[in-house]
Amino acid sequence: MKRNTFYLILGLVILLEVGVFWWAVEIHNALLSPVAFILGVVAIYVARSRVGEIIEDERTGLITQKAALRTFQVFWVVFFAVNLGMAIIGLGPPGFPRPPMRPPRSDEGLPFNLLGRYAVVQLVLLGLMILLYVGFRIYYARKYGDWDSDEEQS
Amino acid sequence: MKNRVKVFRAMHDLTQEQLADTLGVTRQTILAIEKGKYDPSLELAFRMARHFKVSIEEIFLWEEQAEGT
Repeated sequence: MKRNTFYLILGLVILLEVGVFWWAVEIHNALLSPVAFILGVVAIYVARSRVGEIIEDERTGLITQKAALRTFQVFWVVFFAVNLGMAIIGLGPPGFPRPPMRPPRSDEGLPFNLLGRYAVVQLVLLGLMILLYVGFRIYYARKYGDWDSDEEQS
Repeated sequence: MKNRVKVFRAMHDLTQEQLADTLGVTRQTILAIEKGKYDPSLELAFRMARHFKVSIEEIFLWEEQAEGT
């Protein structure tokens, strides 16, 4: 398999994941999206292992390693700080910034409770972690000459 | 660290792609080494030296040595 074919498959899997998430929300199925996500990761892993060209070597390994370490360092501090704040909000008495909870009316669905909000914040943080990783990866890839061009490049 | 990979590659009439395939790395890695953006591991340096049938010191020059010559 060629490298570009792999990137096409990657894009398709991401689109499918978004579609499955949307569908899972519509039909209120909590299991569908996590299962689809794990299957998607496995599919990407299998597709990646079938790429014939060399796409990883010691230099790309170094870039991945450095970007991952920096991401971990920054993310840990941010994640800890956010969760510390949320713990204080969650465990403290109702008031600003957590309004007192009221029981849901009969015509309302389940309330968007604290646990749900907590899950959404965690998902947003994990999304930001990916952006952080991509940022660091771009930085180190540039540092170690990933986008340099020369006379051989057409 | 300076290197003469480009010179040896030219002497053996090899493209970056060909050298990269022989050594099992990406073309971009060969380019990064030639431009001095990346210092290869000892293993890759040895593989490169063996491929060109020279010693490592003939390809890679330690900065002090490179300044002195």
